[in-house]
Amino acid sequence: MTWTWFHRLGSPPYVYALAARLTPWFAWPAALLIAGGLAGGLVLAPPDYQQGDGFRIVYVHAPSAWMSLMVYMTMAIAAAVALIWRIKVGHAVAAACAPIGASFTFVALVTGALYGAPMWGTYWEWDPRLTSELILLFLYLGYMGLRAGLEDTQRADRASALLAVAGSVNVPIIHYSVTWWNSLHQAPTVMQFGKPKMALAMLVPLLMMLAGFTLYFVAVLLVRLRGEVLSRERAASWIPEVLKT
Amino acid sequence: MSRFLDMGGYAAYVWPSYAVTFTVVFLNIFWARRALARSRAEARRRLAMRAEQA
Repeated sequence: MTWTWFHRLGSPPYVYALAARLTPWFAWPAALLIAGGLAGGLVLAPPDYQQGDGFRIVYVHAPSAWMSLMVYMTMAIAAAVALIWRIKVGHAVAAACAPIGASFTFVALVTGALYGAPMWGTYWEWDPRLTSELILLFLYLGYMGLRAGLEDTQRADRASALLAVAGSVNVPIIHYSVTWWNSLHQAPTVMQFGKPKMALAMLVPLLMMLAGFTLYFVAVLLVRLRGEVLSRERAASWIPEVLKT
Repeated sequence: MSRFLDMGGYAAYVWPSYAVTFTVVFLNIFWARRALARSRAEARRRLAMRAEQA
């Protein structure tokens, strides 16, 4: 068992070059999957027997809600790795995650309100699922505010990493909120063991959107990561080299 | 076409949802590229300053 790949991931010039090389490999499949998911979700899938064409909001609501949680877990794990093993690149990954996660948590809340209005008769309710998702948005904003408030990058890295790790308790609360408490929100349809309760013509576009948004996240993260790595290196000899291209 | 745009009466909810989502999708691409460009410009400035001092 060799750990050289892991050590190389701690090396800024290697990460910078790898991120640049990998970006299109995530961006183009993401674009194709999202385009396919849109065609399938807006045109090919039949209207729902209860929600009519209103159910098509799920094709943007579920992926953004998934992003809000998945990006947070990525951020918390990267922060934990950085704290435990003192790997600077981990802090760079965590910092790069936050604005992406915050913006998609906002999208999940807005599309959720637009979904709730016709289906539940209300844009907002202080419901366990909705409230815990709102707390997630505040966690992201708190993380970004903390970083912005600390001038010294090393201190900002450590303090914000602790916040990210501590805040990760909210993630299972959001996920299980619909089963633990009475919630207006429906239970998971796709993310469950066994057979999903959805017709294939509806399910396939949803899975394409979920996969597409995940790859899109990686692509955007890789672009941001390069910036974060670069700004953490003050006088490294590899910088003039990467600035040429 | 107009039936498609009408979304079975849910147009006022469906289209704003898609509009918000894809606005944020494109904004994230724009913000990420801008952040990288700024870091690169900042690194260039630092290099130039050091070259001047040397």
